[in-house]
Amino acid sequence: MSEVLDFADSGATYVAKPAPSFLFRLGAALVVLSLVLMVIGPWIAPYDPNRPTFEISEPPPALVDIPGLLWKVITGAPREPIHWFGTDSTGLDVFSRVIAAPRTDVAIAVGANLASLIVGSLLGLLAGFARPWIGGSVMRISDLIQAFPVFITGMILVTLAGRSNMTIVLTLAFLYTPIYVRLTRSEVLSQRHRGFVDAARALGKSESFIALRHVLPNAMAPALIQASVTIGFAILMTAGLSFVGAGVRPPTPEWGLMIASSANELIQGEWWSSIFPGLAISVTVFGYAAFGNGLERKYGH
Amino acid sequence: MATNATPVLEVRDLTVLYDSRPAVENFVLTIAPGEIVGLTGDSGSGKSTLALALLGLTRGPGHIETGSVTLDGTDLLAIDEASRREKRGRDISLIVQNPRGALSPLHRIGQQIGAVYTSHQRGSRSEIAERAVAMLRTLGLNDPERRALAYPHEISGGMAQRVLIAMALGSGPRLLVADEPTSGLDVTIQAQFLDEMWRNVRKVGSAALLMTQDLGIIANYCDRVIVLQNGRQVEDAPTRSFYSSPRDGYSRSVLALRKEDPPADPVPAPLLTIREMTKTFPLRGTTKRVQAVDDVSFTIGRGETLGLVGESGSGKTTVGRCILRLIEPDTGDIVFGDISVAKAGPVAMRALRRKLQVVFQDPFDSLDPRWTVADILAEAMETKPDKGRIAELLQLVGLGADVARAKPRALSAGSQQRVNIARAIAVEPELIVLDEPTSALTPLARIGIIRLLRGLQERLGVSYLFISHDLNTVEHMSHRVAVMYLGQIVELGTREQVFRNPLHPYSKALLAAHLVADPLRRRVDRENPETLSGEIPSPIDLPRGCYLASRCPVALPACHEQPQKLLPAPDGRLVRCTPAVAGLNQTIH
Repeated sequence: MSEVLDFADSGATYVAKPAPSFLFRLGAALVVLSLVLMVIGPWIAPYDPNRPTFEISEPPPALVDIPGLLWKVITGAPREPIHWFGTDSTGLDVFSRVIAAPRTDVAIAVGANLASLIVGSLLGLLAGFARPWIGGSVMRISDLIQAFPVFITGMILVTLAGRSNMTIVLTLAFLYTPIYVRLTRSEVLSQRHRGFVDAARALGKSESFIALRHVLPNAMAPALIQASVTIGFAILMTAGLSFVGAGVRPPTPEWGLMIASSANELIQGEWWSSIFPGLAISVTVFGYAAFGNGLERKYGH
Repeated sequence: MATNATPVLEVRDLTVLYDSRPAVENFVLTIAPGEIVGLTGDSGSGKSTLALALLGLTRGPGHIETGSVTLDGTDLLAIDEASRREKRGRDISLIVQNPRGALSPLHRIGQQIGAVYTSHQRGSRSEIAERAVAMLRTLGLNDPERRALAYPHEISGGMAQRVLIAMALGSGPRLLVADEPTSGLDVTIQAQFLDEMWRNVRKVGSAALLMTQDLGIIANYCDRVIVLQNGRQVEDAPTRSFYSSPRDGYSRSVLALRKEDPPADPVPAPLLTIREMTKTFPLRGTTKRVQAVDDVSFTIGRGETLGLVGESGSGKTTVGRCILRLIEPDTGDIVFGDISVAKAGPVAMRALRRKLQVVFQDPFDSLDPRWTVADILAEAMETKPDKGRIAELLQLVGLGADVARAKPRALSAGSQQRVNIARAIAVEPELIVLDEPTSALTPLARIGIIRLLRGLQERLGVSYLFISHDLNTVEHMSHRVAVMYLGQIVELGTREQVFRNPLHPYSKALLAAHLVADPLRRRVDRENPETLSGEIPSPIDLPRGCYLASRCPVALPACHEQPQKLLPAPDGRLVRCTPAVAGLNQTIH
């Protein structure tokens, strides 16, 4: 008997995962960079992002001067820090403000998504696991929230509740929750018929134990992948709300506010104070999207 | 077979490399006209790679390194791709596993069969359509004109498979390569298909290579057997000598089970009694209901195995799920020991759960992929178990203690199923419902699981309800056997009664289609008058009388009006067929 058994169960099967692509690595690097800047951005900024300097509307150094300036920085010449991105019309250092902004932008986006991920996946679990009428009501409420245009609803809610960072987080969380409800519910619906769920039932486990320990952990993958993409959009949304004046209060360093306050100077040729925060938004949103896309390829079905 | 005739197919030194690892190595094969060669081997032995290589195709990074595939004098690997494509479909046909997946859902059946003709021969539209209908008629499909106009989703799986044969045989190929053509089909449809293929090859003198893990198919239909292991030929023998004296380790292991005695009879003491259980499911969007289980009654004794057999949709899995109360039966009673399962409240049910366990068909699906084996086994136990208990359980099911730290994904399917069994026995149950526990496994793993289950029964005295469509494993596991058809038990008797001398017309047809892994008991050598005609009635609109009457070869006029009752026959078994019981009475008196 043992001879046959050894033969029958020779070896385990491992499935090789495809190597992560270049875009995925780039996205991951940008995500990490944005999170690092969220924590330490304001501390490592060469100038205080909220205190004006004496140079007003100074353009960034010309491209040809950059190697020389870099050499000066490396050799530690005793000089004022360089305005890499120039200064705006009030004399604020643009570079310092661009790297200080993630403290606001990324923190709001990540906080809002964390909140909606937790609430949304639990509601999705409820919608997929509870009696049909409960699930039905949850889904109809989600439909209702999603039926309104996100940006306009956000503007109205923030204006009504008062412009504080917390209101923006709660508004975004409220608007993004239906996405996670929907994703988690559809995954729960397919997971609840898996064999291990029935096996746990046959062992006499309670429905809430099965839902929380077996179904939910196995149903989270699509929501987590979606979170990366949604954080990117939330950054865009935060900046957008600030741009139209419904977001964070000036003079907080924030990308959307920076673009809004420098939009007028753009016409007069002072491009640097609005282009750089704009680039920062694009690169960050792209980073989160590429990271989410890579995650989906790696772990998605 | 005339082996001295010019071979249809001659393969020499065929080697297929994946990167630089050989998937098929120095493969040699000749097939004479009218010969059917069986090719077997465990999963990953290179069967499917070989099937494609014979058509000059490879998958993924693989490529054909050396060798020649000579078909009727032409080396397929030496000619250019265009002329090779010319030969595919006309001179060589390939039949693959999934019949539905191989048909285009957007085209009518007739069009798809016709496309095979038009790609290689010329003909007017109406001519082609006529030939497609004629082909369907020869394959025994009723109403072929209408079928030719149907889309693939409108026909049953068995019909889809026959359409594929029509397409494969349509151009009259010289070589037919069939890669697991019947896996997933019910036994009666499998037998129909293989009979058709066998007749065709013999009639036109073409060659066939049949790749399968089912040794019953090989014993019944093949003239020669080749065994592949890790891409190498380890056996090439005539079928009879292969079965009487297998030479290599793999063949010996796979064939060893046939020679073992069936399980010894237990002491009869009833453990589980089911009385008149029914279960219907509502049909979405209508007021109609699907009858899944219809008036089912049986008992299982302590230490006994009851085999529950039937084709897909016969309701056998629903019976198992009702016993476990994973679904609620509509009516009827389930008595376990002296407690009623059907009426048990939450507290009583919790206690009952520990005595009733289950093992499902898909071993990987039944294990939470995020948990380690130790966690999975610990979940089954009330108190927090120590390492010793988990190692002991793993040892009981033939696994090493180091498996405890592994996650299910890292284990082979056979080992995963052993973990499932370990979880079931962890609570020391009195009855385990085994729902097709071996159907997703390779032959070697299947044998290991059957031996394990039998060993555990002897050691622990546990009873089994063994649900399976695989009659070979049922015969090796069961003391008594119940045959189900459309939710009803049509025959219930001892293993010998049902397997040696089935009484009910449906059991007869099922057993006639059963392919025994013994070349001396071939299906093609005997008369099979019990073949059922027509299609299974829909479980939504069941006939008024006997459910089998419309297909039954011995139906009386009364059968169409009068529902049949499950009645005892003189030899003690139960049969749901008055004429069959009456016939038996006459032969005795």
